[in-house]
Amino acid sequence: MKKFLLKTILYIFLILVLLELLVRALHLYTEDPPRYIDENNVEKRVPGHNGYAVTGNRNQNFSEFHINKAGFNSHREFLPTKEKFEIALIGDSFIEGFHQDYYDSTGRKIETKLDTVEVYEYGYAGYDLANQMHLINAYKEQFALIDEIIIYLNFESDLKRGAYEPNVGRIAMLSSTVFKIRDNIKLLAYGSKIGILEPLKKLVTGQAFQNASQAYETNKIEVDVREQEQEYLDNFKSLVALYGYDKCKTTILLDSRKTSASFLAYCNQNNFRYIDFAPTFERTTKPVTLIYDWHWNNHGRQLIANVIVDHIKGPKKSKDCR
Amino acid sequence: MLFNSIEFLLFLPLVFCLYWFVFKKKVTVQNLFLIFASYVFYGWWDWRFLLLIFLSTLVDFFVGQKIHQNLDVKKKARHWLWVSMAFNIGMLGFFKYSNFFVDSFIDMVSAMGYTIKSTWTLRIILPVGISFYTFQTMSYSFDIYYKKLTPSKNFIAFTAFVSFFPQLVAGPIERASNLLSQIINKRVFSYAQAASGMKLVLWGLFKKIVIADSIAPIVDDVFANYQDYPASTLILGVCLFSFQVYGDFSGYSDIAIGTAKLFGIELKSNFKFPNFSRNVAEYWQRWHVSLSTWFRHYLYIPMGGSRVSKLKSVRNIIVIFVVSGFWHGANWTFIFWGGLHALFYIPVFLMGRNRMYAHNVVGEKSLFPTPIEILQVLVTFTLVTFSRIFFRSPSLTDSFQYIDTIVYNFTYEPYVHPMGYRMLDFYVLLALFVFYEYLIRKDERSPFKFKSKIVRLLLYTIVVLAMLLFYDDGVNRSFIYFQF
Repeated sequence: MKKFLLKTILYIFLILVLLELLVRALHLYTEDPPRYIDENNVEKRVPGHNGYAVTGNRNQNFSEFHINKAGFNSHREFLPTKEKFEIALIGDSFIEGFHQDYYDSTGRKIETKLDTVEVYEYGYAGYDLANQMHLINAYKEQFALIDEIIIYLNFESDLKRGAYEPNVGRIAMLSSTVFKIRDNIKLLAYGSKIGILEPLKKLVTGQAFQNASQAYETNKIEVDVREQEQEYLDNFKSLVALYGYDKCKTTILLDSRKTSASFLAYCNQNNFRYIDFAPTFERTTKPVTLIYDWHWNNHGRQLIANVIVDHIKGPKKSKDCR
Repeated sequence: MLFNSIEFLLFLPLVFCLYWFVFKKKVTVQNLFLIFASYVFYGWWDWRFLLLIFLSTLVDFFVGQKIHQNLDVKKKARHWLWVSMAFNIGMLGFFKYSNFFVDSFIDMVSAMGYTIKSTWTLRIILPVGISFYTFQTMSYSFDIYYKKLTPSKNFIAFTAFVSFFPQLVAGPIERASNLLSQIINKRVFSYAQAASGMKLVLWGLFKKIVIADSIAPIVDDVFANYQDYPASTLILGVCLFSFQVYGDFSGYSDIAIGTAKLFGIELKSNFKFPNFSRNVAEYWQRWHVSLSTWFRHYLYIPMGGSRVSKLKSVRNIIVIFVVSGFWHGANWTFIFWGGLHALFYIPVFLMGRNRMYAHNVVGEKSLFPTPIEILQVLVTFTLVTFSRIFFRSPSLTDSFQYIDTIVYNFTYEPYVHPMGYRMLDFYVLLALFVFYEYLIRKDERSPFKFKSKIVRLLLYTIVVLAMLLFYDDGVNRSFIYFQF
């Protein structure tokens, strides 16, 4: 028995070591550059990190990232001047673009189409509108030099709060010892990414035993959709009031299929400009998202770049803005 | 509790340690613990059905004694055997077949032009593994009746035999002569046996997670949307289903046999590389062996087997296959599937080739199979795979429409995975799997039989890596044969 137990432990250990080596050699794990909260209370990545983000069990999507000095994934540094024409593209993971090579991002595609323009991609996974408005406000001197600001807004998830608070808890959690261990043992990072640790997590947190009782609670009264839309609109108004909103240079990038009609009506009535990419996505016959992920694929990014380019080239702004 | 769940990953080492370190002194205590562990294992799904297992145990334990006491008076013994059969088949009939009979009756009456509004259809949950443990307890009563076994007076051991958790829900269906005798006697820990068990568990998990679960979404997609797919995709779908059901069920059996070994118990082999069979008869000697053996012992031979006239033998073959099909599920598709296999088997039987491959494997004396063997294997695989259209389709109409598209609308289009995965990964995986199984084809109980420790270690690592590479947390991880 002793021999059996010892050999079992030895084999498990050796298999784990070999797996760790294989996962590293095949780069099956994804890298997540560290996050922090800067002196302006803005959540961002620690500058200077390069690496590869991986999606899927078998490296189905493999892309390179580069965190610039400003703390965002971009091929260029953000150095706005009065002379140049700059566009700030602000958003969540869709703009951060860890699912694409950083030198082939949406911003880069816009730059290719508009020769004299520099696009600064302020993308960060998890940003909502509060994050984005706070960012613009915190770096107002920099943004004053930028000519166009485009905010990517996912109406369903980005308007859940009316004021910004840095997510200190998440940053602390990600820099905790447990997460550091996970990130350094690539096998664990890989296992976590593909969901193999989920059952264990559920068991440890007791969720595994709650499923049965939850099954009887699924028919809870749904929150009134209109009430929620009103709440989101109120949050938008609150954010605008708190952080200011330059209607002359700011445009919201949205998908009208996922945005409430009342919000769109409010934008129209109050001169909040927006770019709706839904018709462009609907017209195309090719898929616009990745296969293994819901983020935009190369074709989707190209279409987004096109609609932004059309917007920049489009009719001049109203008299008040000239 | 599923073998491929985190609960089982924690349950197994815990039960193993308690079994060998805490309860090993007295076999009765060890068996009591085994019953407790088995009831926890089964009760994890639904504790209410534990009562059925216990009732089945109680009835057959008691009936076994009665049959034995009345063996001199054949009629009385037979009456007691009928009690066992009535109870077990009655239970099976109620939980598994009652709605089928009601629906079939209504369909028949409707076909005659009458309308009946069904008020008899019941909302019944099928208890997991009922077909397996009822057959196992029945075999005990049969063996006593046929004087192949003396009944056990040890109720605890008998209860442990019926509920032994590694094979409780999906077999292998064990005969008391093999399993009960091991449970009655004291088990001694053997390093070689436990190590071999661990290897089988690993190989079984590989077959389940990597082979069966990874191709399950493709099969589900093809069978759910067969009207929209070209013939080439339908052929691909059913071929993949052949691999899925094999990986799923033989994987389960390997884990069951391997787990039993960890507790010092040897179960019978259930799968012997059926995909390398050279005719349908050989296939049935290699596929779900414990069920085929059960039907042979308790149905085919009592009916006369092949020792009667050719005509009666053919009748016996038809009966055994149709009943076997019906055992799988309360649906005409399974009956048809069984009938189809009878149709494939009868010519082999009439040519006297049904036992010719009973004691050898493909490529027995050489590294590679002969061209004739390759052809035989391909033909057998094609026939068996064709029959699986009925096995997998929800109704006979769907089965025939599926075949209709293949035969009358033969077109080719490359198949796109429902999740967008690269199909080449799966083709390469299956090719490697078939190749590896061919290498180990002579011993189904030693999947890692290589002398070099380094080679073995590398293989274990590759197997675990493959599980990670093909793990899909969105897949239903239950085993196909649980529904039977």
